[in-house]
Amino acid sequence: MTALEFQGVRVRLGRRRHAADVVKGVDLTVPAGTVVGLVGESGCGKSTLARAAVGLVPLAAGRITPGSGVQLVFQDPYSSLDPRMTVGSAVAEAVPKGAGVDRAGEVARLLDLVGLEPGHAGRLPRHLSGGQRQRVAIARALAARPRVVIADEITSALDVSVQGMVLNLVRELQRELGLTMLFISHNLAVVRYVSDRVAVMNRGRIVESGPVDDVLSAPRDPYTRTLLESVPRLR
Amino acid sequence: MRGLKTPLGAAAALSLAFLLFAVVLGPILWGDDAIKVDTMALAQGASAAHPMGTDGLGRDVLARTMVAARPSVGLALLATLITVAGGLLLGGLPAVLGRRAGRLLNGFIGLVVAFPGLLIALVLAVVLGSGGRPAAFAIGLAGVPAFARLTQTLAASVAGRDFVAAARVLGVGRTRMLVRHILPNIGEPLIVQATLGAGGALLAFAALSFLGLGVQAPDYDWGLLLNEGLNRVYVNPAAALAPGIAVVLAGLAFNVLGEYAAQVFGGRSPAARGAGGSARPVPGDALTVKDLRVSYGPAVPVKGVSFTVGAGERVGLVGESGSGKSLTALAASGLVEPPGVVAGSIEAGETAMVFQDPMTSLNPALRVGTQLAEVATAHERLARRAAGRRAVARLTDVHIAAAAKVARQYPHELSGGMRQRAMIAMGLMGTPRLIIADEPTTALDVTVQKQILDLLREVSDSTGAAILLISHDLAVVAQLCSRVLVMYAGVIVEDLTVERLVAGPAHPYTRALLASVPDMSADRSQPLATIPGRMPSPADPVAGCPFAPRCPRAGDRCLTAMPPFEDGVACWHPIKEVS
Ligand SMILES: Nc1ncnc2c1ncn2[C@@H]1O[C@H](COP(=O)(O)OP(=O)(O)O)[C@@H](O)[C@H]1O
Ligand code: SF4
Ligand SMILES: [Mg+2]
Repeated sequence: MTALEFQGVRVRLGRRRHAADVVKGVDLTVPAGTVVGLVGESGCGKSTLARAAVGLVPLAAGRITPGSGVQLVFQDPYSSLDPRMTVGSAVAEAVPKGAGVDRAGEVARLLDLVGLEPGHAGRLPRHLSGGQRQRVAIARALAARPRVVIADEITSALDVSVQGMVLNLVRELQRELGLTMLFISHNLAVVRYVSDRVAVMNRGRIVESGPVDDVLSAPRDPYTRTLLESVPRLR
Repeated sequence: MRGLKTPLGAAAALSLAFLLFAVVLGPILWGDDAIKVDTMALAQGASAAHPMGTDGLGRDVLARTMVAARPSVGLALLATLITVAGGLLLGGLPAVLGRRAGRLLNGFIGLVVAFPGLLIALVLAVVLGSGGRPAAFAIGLAGVPAFARLTQTLAASVAGRDFVAAARVLGVGRTRMLVRHILPNIGEPLIVQATLGAGGALLAFAALSFLGLGVQAPDYDWGLLLNEGLNRVYVNPAAALAPGIAVVLAGLAFNVLGEYAAQVFGGRSPAARGAGGSARPVPGDALTVKDLRVSYGPAVPVKGVSFTVGAGERVGLVGESGSGKSLTALAASGLVEPPGVVAGSIEAGETAMVFQDPMTSLNPALRVGTQLAEVATAHERLARRAAGRRAVARLTDVHIAAAAKVARQYPHELSGGMRQRAMIAMGLMGTPRLIIADEPTTALDVTVQKQILDLLREVSDSTGAAILLISHDLAVVAQLCSRVLVMYAGVIVEDLTVERLVAGPAHPYTRALLASVPDMSADRSQPLATIPGRMPSPADPVAGCPFAPRCPRAGDRCLTAMPPFEDGVACWHPIKEVS
């Protein structure tokens, strides 16, 4: 079991004159086998932090451990799958290379794990619904046998009815496989539902963190309060 | 091939047939005539025996022109092949090389692409020496920078997409990335470009041969024939005309083929207004839709929808994706594109549309202010300056600080929330009676989402415009609207007030939808309620209630008869009790 740790992480994006600190010194720990929810408005640096953790953007300072074995599931299942690659090959591509690996068997096992019929392996993403695509994206991330999974807004492009299924799946898989998970969302209700702890990010900094119920019922930071007040409510 | 029925498709097929005929059969049918020296008929004008006359050795010009099709087209294709191969290599390399080398290479491409292609071809032709093959190389190489630039731009646009990032995270190598993920996704525009390029190469080749830098006698192509013919143009104009016409026709053929390929790959032609959309102002209701159907051949995504949006009323349209919400909205504003067919009646006042992703509906190449002003100059023939002032005023109305500065910026320089405000401001350039907003806040985060919803409410209050808000998020709709329409599989299944929605809807689908939303008081130890099964697709025939396969209350009648829409609900067994 591995914890995900950010220590004094700074990320600078843009070139020369346009460069700006997007992540301004983040310390955050996701204890092994737990889910930490990361909330905050878009543009505050959540996705950049996630991308830094998987090496898609370079760090300006600080360190992130582990340095490998971290997988990222993207927000938009319509753009995170290659439109020209079948579901089966997309998942197979992610299976670690090595002697004696039964790729076809592994693909079938993974598709089954995320609740997709094996017949889906031959299909192209455009033949799948949004929810099914996101399942493929999750299967693909799990195929790499990651120690840590980062989910970046994985349900925001989905319908409410489908969102429920994907959230149930995420919770189930996390518990079954004992995954360490950073779950990023701007939807507080969703974060509250899947996370053990929550961290609130604003303008590149973590402004508050703690057990979900404590933070959401008794927010200490004014920004967390604004965030809570902005949640559209039905009742 | 259905495309052949279009004029462009037919023209493309005809051109291809003409080219193939000349290239394949030309030398076989006319090969002998083309080399037969007729000393009795030196440099003659057109006659019955020689329709286009003869050349200085008495050879038939028409025959020679037809025979020359093979070398002319063949060499043009060779040149194109070189352009494509070189362009792919040079344009694809930056994606494979590391960051720094890639940037250097891009700079290099940018530098050479600045030189005119024909000039490079001329210089190369002189350097490589005359003859068919060297000329093909000259023309081919001259086309490389432009093709490389296109490849590189397209590759860069694909490289920015999530699926490439996803593959990177999985450790997919650069070469595999290029070959498996990038090239297949940019192949279509490249094919179009190559086809158009072949036409250009053909013309360039004719030009080189004409100048004596291309094919050398005793071989000949159209350019050389043109050269010979022009020397004697006063004696026999037909001798110059024949190869000239051939060059033009073949060049046109490639262009038509390219255009056709562009149309096939590029999807439909620019927006055409669908039937049923009427934008004339009507007193009273802001929007009345009666028995609206939208079909794409056998698929009918909208199956008879009727509703009214009163003046100044704020109505939400909810349902899962694919239920027909967006198509209903597009039809209401007359924006359904062919091959979609719209039936039914729509009466709408002046309508403004706000889309989910304002980036796709704003022109990235125009300044925000210019785009807004365009609306007013186009519709009201307002003077440029007055329109510009109104644009700034409207941007101010939607609470954009420093509106004058924002008006001079490009869409990509604005944040998502700002773009959405600009989009709403654009709608306000006229005097809309109805604002249709399709998932306007789905791409935004909660705090910005709240601001945009507040803005829409404010605009509706101050201008009296009605709002039709489309969303899959019930909570968003409840925040802005007073009435909600619930759509499922192309029909409206419930029409209810927000109070009723919260207290307990009558339709089982609306109830299930409500239950599947996690809210801040959801029990975390339980899995979320979901709706098992899936919505029928628009092409599936549905006999009874479309929700029946997923409905816990379904009875026999539900499977065979479609429930009528009565008292705001289409259900045989509506739920009476309030939850
Ligand atoms: N151009 C098209 N050709 C064929 N089917 C289409 C086209 N556009 C939309 N559809 C189909 O119409 C149905 C309803 O689409 P849409 O109105 O976008 O739903 P919603 O907005 O509720 O998500 C979908 O099943 C979709 O596949
Ligand atoms: S008509 Fe029948 S199947 Fe349809 S929603 Fe009502 S009870 Fe369910
Ligand atoms: Mg839609």
